[in-house]
Amino acid sequence: MKSSSIVFLAAFIALSASWGAFVLAPQLQLGREDQAKTVPAEEKYPVARPGLAQQGAEVYRSLGCVYCHSQQVNQQGVKVEVVLLDAGTNADNTISALAKVDAQLGKAENFIGLPKKLTEVADIGASDAIVKAVTEAGGKIEVNVIPTGADISRGWGKRRTVAQDYIYDSVVQPGTRRAGPDLANVGSRLADPNWQLNHLYAPKSVVKDSAMPAYRFLFEKRKVGKVVSADALKLTGEFAPPAGFEIVPTDDARALVAYLLSLHADAPLFESPVTPPPATASATNAVAAK
Amino acid sequence: MNADPKQSCSVANEAEPTATMTPMPVWILGLMFTLLFLGAWYFDLYGGWFEPKVYAPYSSVADVQRFQPKKGGIADTLARGRKLYADNCAVCHMETGVGNPANGCPPLVDSEWVKSPSPTRMIMLISKGLSGPITVNGKVWNSGVMLAVGDSLPGDEKEKAEKIAAIATYVRFQFGKIAVETKPAQVLTIRESIKDRTANYTEAELLKIDP
Repeated sequence: MKSSSIVFLAAFIALSASWGAFVLAPQLQLGREDQAKTVPAEEKYPVARPGLAQQGAEVYRSLGCVYCHSQQVNQQGVKVEVVLLDAGTNADNTISALAKVDAQLGKAENFIGLPKKLTEVADIGASDAIVKAVTEAGGKIEVNVIPTGADISRGWGKRRTVAQDYIYDSVVQPGTRRAGPDLANVGSRLADPNWQLNHLYAPKSVVKDSAMPAYRFLFEKRKVGKVVSADALKLTGEFAPPAGFEIVPTDDARALVAYLLSLHADAPLFESPVTPPPATASATNAVAAK
Repeated sequence: MNADPKQSCSVANEAEPTATMTPMPVWILGLMFTLLFLGAWYFDLYGGWFEPKVYAPYSSVADVQRFQPKKGGIADTLARGRKLYADNCAVCHMETGVGNPANGCPPLVDSEWVKSPSPTRMIMLISKGLSGPITVNGKVWNSGVMLAVGDSLPGDEKEKAEKIAAIATYVRFQFGKIAVETKPAQVLTIRESIKDRTANYTEAELLKIDP
């Protein structure tokens, strides 16, 4: 071959450039990620999964859950909520200080029923003047950073997922298809293990229009002994087993549920800040009404 | 055979295609540099320069930094309190503070004990625990005993006070709608005054203390 050295050199450059960009660069960028601390509470994150949940990750993998469920939350933007916590000892003073910043905010009715959301701004810099005015007047104010986006408004997460969320996954299963809902935060969203077990056994028993197949082979149908087992599923109507039988979860089902309940990607991290929204008056009322 | 090439080939007069060097048209060069410039400009603006801590919608470390929750505010204390509550209190009083009628754990939501003007009783209660029945919202609850959760928290006296302050702040905020931070110094003073106590409190004893 006339110019074999040039061909070799060209191939070498092409391959090493792609290796550098797709293997070396990400490794240098994220390869040393380690347990970090949340902001501002400084709790360690993420924590390793307990053993049963670790086994459940393998069950999740073997059942191919990843083909229908993603584990990644998208975020389009961020909004900033300014919440007035306390008007201070001299409320009139705070009201007039706020009125100087923005006439709309400095109204007496904004000070009834604290804590109360005063306003919502797109950039955190826009809240600085309000915070300064209230703090100097002796009041207490809080600025909440709230991620926004389609996934977040669906309730699938509080913030976007980042590399830090996956560092303890030996096989990362972020998924690409969403035939079912995203599971990145399923442990926070649906924290009831009995719900999860019922859902695996008969998805339509808890979600009427569920398209998920029933994973009945994860359960054992057996005759009731002297008494009904403590961990038998509580099923009603068409999903209930015939009289004299009970449905109990197998080890795989228990491990899978432990894994699902261990999925929380909502800790506030430096790279994905979110202020844990404190209870508003309405949220507390909702709890009280239960 | 006809030897005259002019007759045998009608295109002989046209020039043969050549493969010599030809300068690139100036407009392609211009377009390339424009695209390169726009790409670099966009990357500089939104790319985050390969920083591992920068994700969309943020564009630089400084940008992410601006959105960080402020340390030391009530939000910080509430976040710590939420965690401590979940670890130490929620097993009986439940995550939502509704209590557990099955084993007699009273609710915290809108309870007059939580809504008390000062956190003094709550700090004592958390520190030393409670024995016997307690009346909450007109109903008598009896779980037997509430453990001295505060005393058994890990850490030295200062850390305990910080943790109890965070719990009290969270409980009062979340369940009593009182947005006042309980300061660790306040907890330290109260705990200093009851440090020799080993027995649990009873409801009657707590009622004697200024609310």
